[in-house]
Amino acid sequence: MLEVKNLSKAFGGIRVTRDVSFKVEPGERRVILGPNGAGKTTLFNLLVGALKPSGGDILLDNESIVGLSVSQRARRGLSRSYQKNNLFEDLTVRENLALAAASAQGKFAWMSRDSFRDKSVLETVEEVAEHVALADHLDMQVRSASYGSRRQLEVGLALATKPRVLLMDEPTSGVGPSMIDGFHRLLQGLPKELTVLIIEHDMDLAFDVADRITVLNFGEVVFEGTSGETRGNPIVREIYLGEGLEDA
Amino acid sequence: MFFQSHARTAVLLFVLIGLVLYAATGSYFAREIVVEIAILAILAISLDVAAGYGGMVSLCHGAIMGMSAYTYAILSVKFGLPTLPSAVGGIAAAAVFGTAVGWITGRTAGIFFIMATLAFGQMAYTLIFKSRWLGGDDGMGGLDRFDLSWLGINLGDSLSFAVYTVVCLGLVYLAAAWVLRSGFGRTLSGLHSNEDRLQALGVNTVIHRARALGFSGLLAGVAGILAAQHTLYISPELLFWTVSGEILIVVILGGLGTLVGPIVGAVLFVMLKHEVSEYTNHWHMVVGLVLIAAVLAGGRGIFGQIEYWAADRRRAGKEQSAEAGDA
Repeated sequence: MLEVKNLSKAFGGIRVTRDVSFKVEPGERRVILGPNGAGKTTLFNLLVGALKPSGGDILLDNESIVGLSVSQRARRGLSRSYQKNNLFEDLTVRENLALAAASAQGKFAWMSRDSFRDKSVLETVEEVAEHVALADHLDMQVRSASYGSRRQLEVGLALATKPRVLLMDEPTSGVGPSMIDGFHRLLQGLPKELTVLIIEHDMDLAFDVADRITVLNFGEVVFEGTSGETRGNPIVREIYLGEGLEDA
Repeated sequence: MFFQSHARTAVLLFVLIGLVLYAATGSYFAREIVVEIAILAILAISLDVAAGYGGMVSLCHGAIMGMSAYTYAILSVKFGLPTLPSAVGGIAAAAVFGTAVGWITGRTAGIFFIMATLAFGQMAYTLIFKSRWLGGDDGMGGLDRFDLSWLGINLGDSLSFAVYTVVCLGLVYLAAAWVLRSGFGRTLSGLHSNEDRLQALGVNTVIHRARALGFSGLLAGVAGILAAQHTLYISPELLFWTVSGEILIVVILGGLGTLVGPIVGAVLFVMLKHEVSEYTNHWHMVVGLVLIAAVLAGGRGIFGQIEYWAADRRRAGKEQSAEAGDA
């Protein structure tokens, strides 16, 4: 589904992504782990096209997408949510979701019809709102919504485009335990055929949802394996859990 | 996000009918004022689509209007085309110019966008100013109005022409409201709110911005035709950047992003200008003071502020009745 080959990115002399390669199968839940500054968000920015790589290739369905723009990649079915909320602040929750749905359904440039009254756009809005637990808050102004609701909407915007590959950058960052549970349910409710990449700090959640885990450190892939393999791996324990080898 | 409330419809109709009545009952001078208001209001609506809804504060809308007027003059005077195809050509030229400016400035934002549009406008102004073929700073004359005698209308008559410009203003408002309520307009509001996210959702924002400025240019083009037909003479002054600045003042005065506000702003601006200049030559100062007051009061403009108060009172009323319900 999604394949990354020898991907590199340098800002001046600093190599933030070093020779990263991995392959994600259709329908797979892949968690990207790594300490702060490991280059996880940079990797996402490279995948969606917000950054141009210094080298390497990204394949979506065996086709290179490195030359495509952010919007072109989005139209190919690559959708991402952000670590820091990146929403349409001046609009309501409903309008946010409708913009996402209309964009993905190619109704964003209609001159003679209102995309916000289109049946399938409205259906998607309802469906996604239900999914991210915002169905009762559709007419709320995003600016005055709670942090938790905004976090849910952040994922909702990515979902409303009906992506084939969903990239979620720390969806639970800054939220409490009850919302982490809610997010857990949300993940389990996602369509089975949807391919999901998640950057996640919450270890329990990560080990629980992941089919496979890729561990990054200093921009390099240092380990890849299943949850069980990752949990027991000494290198991972050292760099990610901060335990010295002698303790392990 | 654009919405057409009953209050907006009422204010719009009130102003349009008021303008027609003022022209019908007033002197030749009153009709001139009505024409001036209508042309300025069309320009202000055009700029509100770009700036108020799309977040693209342009300083070349005067130049866009001027391109339309000059194209109209070139086609009808230099090439001897009939007035109607010349007008269509003029409006098309304005739309193309707007699209081109939008396309080229597509990746700039904020102050850089403003400066880029200023540069494009002044470039067009200088080209025409220096062109001997177009009369240079003497401008061009020998223009005609539409021949509507088949409808029994003589546009040479000052009242008919004033009513004609008000009808054009109404049509321009309808066109703008129609497009702002379409998928295109919704996306434009999204672009204003968060361009990066819109891109991540799959919208090519450069193309969208170009098309939005193209549509805005088309509306400004209508004003250009009316300006040319009004005085039957055009000069490069139409394209000068201060004209664009004046349009921006009108939009802010009336209420950015309200579509009706710019019309109110145009009425106020022209009225102030004529009333105050009876007493003093420093009418700009009075307009300036009103503008400062409008900006300091929250930047919503006169119509925008009233609309805001009304919404606030409605909210308070709702809360009160909810509390009464609880008790």
